[in-house]
Amino acid sequence: MIFRRLSVYLAAAGIAAAILLVRRMQQKPPAPAPVAAPARSPYLGTVAATGLIEAARENVRIAAPKGGLVTRVLVKVGDAVREGDPLFQLDAREAASRVETVQAQLEAMRATLKAEEVALADTEDQLARFEKLRKDSVATEEELKRRWFAAEGARARIGSIRAQIHSVERQWQQAKTDLEILTVKAPRDGELLQVNLRAGEYAPAAALAEPLMLLGDVAKLQVRADVDEQNSVLVEPQAEAVASLKGHADLRMPLRFVRVEPYVVPKRSLTGDSLERVDTRVLQIIYEFDRPSFPVYVGQQVDVFIRRGNPKAPVSEPTSVPVAGRR
Amino acid sequence: MYHLALKMLVADRAKYVMLVGGLAFASLLMTQQNGVFQGLLSWTTSHMRNMRASIWVVERNVEQVNETKAMRDTDVNRVRSVTGVDFAVPLFISVLKARASDGSDKPIQLVGLHAATLIGRPPDIVRGDLEQLRLPNAVFIDELAVERLSAGRARPLDIGDTFEINDREARVVGICRTERQFFGYPYVFTTYDQALQYAPRQRKMLSIILAEPKSGLAAVDVARAIERETGLRALTVPEFSRATIDFIWRNTGIPASFLTTIILGFIVGIAVSAQTFYSFVLENLRHLGALKAMGASNSLLARLLLLQAFAVGLVGYGIGVGLTALFGFAVHPIGQPPFILDYATLTVTGVAVIVICMFAALLGILKVSRLETAIVFRA
Repeated sequence: MIFRRLSVYLAAAGIAAAILLVRRMQQKPPAPAPVAAPARSPYLGTVAATGLIEAARENVRIAAPKGGLVTRVLVKVGDAVREGDPLFQLDAREAASRVETVQAQLEAMRATLKAEEVALADTEDQLARFEKLRKDSVATEEELKRRWFAAEGARARIGSIRAQIHSVERQWQQAKTDLEILTVKAPRDGELLQVNLRAGEYAPAAALAEPLMLLGDVAKLQVRADVDEQNSVLVEPQAEAVASLKGHADLRMPLRFVRVEPYVVPKRSLTGDSLERVDTRVLQIIYEFDRPSFPVYVGQQVDVFIRRGNPKAPVSEPTSVPVAGRR
Repeated sequence: MYHLALKMLVADRAKYVMLVGGLAFASLLMTQQNGVFQGLLSWTTSHMRNMRASIWVVERNVEQVNETKAMRDTDVNRVRSVTGVDFAVPLFISVLKARASDGSDKPIQLVGLHAATLIGRPPDIVRGDLEQLRLPNAVFIDELAVERLSAGRARPLDIGDTFEINDREARVVGICRTERQFFGYPYVFTTYDQALQYAPRQRKMLSIILAEPKSGLAAVDVARAIERETGLRALTVPEFSRATIDFIWRNTGIPASFLTTIILGFIVGIAVSAQTFYSFVLENLRHLGALKAMGASNSLLARLLLLQAFAVGLVGYGIGVGLTALFGFAVHPIGQPPFILDYATLTVTGVAVIVICMFAALLGILKVSRLETAIVFRA
């Protein structure tokens, strides 16, 4: 009988083993869940953007009025400053000595003026006396004239010296101004967000990629959202929006529309590489928000979702619509 | 009567073994070769099993998953803006050179995962904590990378060891198990931002956007919506797998070579078993003639032969796939050579074997139907 044959059992075992193998091969580890919730839009239709938190009044990038050596930094990061408070001091020795030089010059000229005034008083006195003597015909006309010219000459010299003094006074003022601007002052109230300056360093007078100091008003923060220029038409001003911290999608902040920046700017790459070439421009939209219960910091990146009216439902439309560039 | 047929079948042991052996060999050839072929093809789409996501968004002209063209950073936000997309994250993928301790350069497949969510991370972690990827210069490597990059080391690369990618230090914080890929590069996982530091700087760096549909929506519909609204190419995993396999089919000789082997297996199976079965019928012609003489109709004899053919086919098939299964069990844990066995292969092979047997039986039936009962009494 056939069932006494080993081959039959081998065959049955073979088929069973094959089925077992197929089963084992079909076992796939399940897709791992994200370690943190990804940023999701709370709206049905949305325009997504990447945002950067900044101070409500745009941050001030403090620069030096003149290139120079920094001798003193008078503030530290996080200090609240009021308008006019000194921030840092550039090397003022040269400017200070110039003030002194001009001042000394001025004093010397004032002394000369004094001497000339005395001389004038003397010649005027002599002139007055000779006029009397001339009336009495004691002095000659020539003697009188000489005194008169002497007095006029002294007056002219005084005028000249006065003019010079005025000029040096102006130079003195200028030197004092030059000295004053070497102390860089806060242009408005705010908090120092960055201090990239140490005493002994050279502060160039230029707009730097990394400002010497960054002053901002952190009492009120705002979000600057970058929308791809290709999505710019989808953005409705005044539309509701929400931002969530990068990596913490559950920490959400409702946003209030402030304005759309009218100029579309090249996208700033956040890798910080200055050699990066621009291939995208972005529309920037400003939103304000109230400080949430969790800490947020100026300069932090956020995922922004802007509500979009009349979103196209992905399912109701025919799926056979040809996409440009594909068969 | 049917009992008798089976008895007739196994009576001649040598013939029986020959018959079963031929069919087993044909089954083995067809299932095993097909399995290796499918395994090899699956290696071309292993990205999609090592990095899991429902929708893969790539540049418009990308044909297959192993070859991506870079997109702009802001395209992630454009995909996020498409209605029906639950979330979308960037993925960086590129082949870079890593330097092993002995100074040799090995190509690796560097994968940069979205730092916050690590979406696309490998499902099978052997050792280490994936969250440590956020540490500076941290990478996760697969077991193949351990093997390749351990060259010149006293002991294999492990957590805490370092190697160089593109002249930058990479510190191993974990080891994972991945499915091998077609080109044989080991996977090295890191965060997206870190991957950009390792990779040579290019104008555009974003390779792939991984997206998920909102719950309740079909991935296919959302993929079409993404294509419509962004002009990028969005594919679900089955679509992208098919596109990739199509690409391999069109552009390499691998399918042709495997198909040839499979067809040869089928032909050899037909030739061997049809011949053996036919000579088996010839040998037993006298018994069949006797049955016919005793009044058995042609249709009964045909049924007997069909039963014999079916039985021998089933046994041969069983032994053949059993051998394939043994091979499968041996290579499955190693993953090398590639091998995938599925029900479709088993069914198709089974049907093919039965077809071979039925063909052999048909030859026998033709012979028997023309048989004259007198043959029994001759000689």
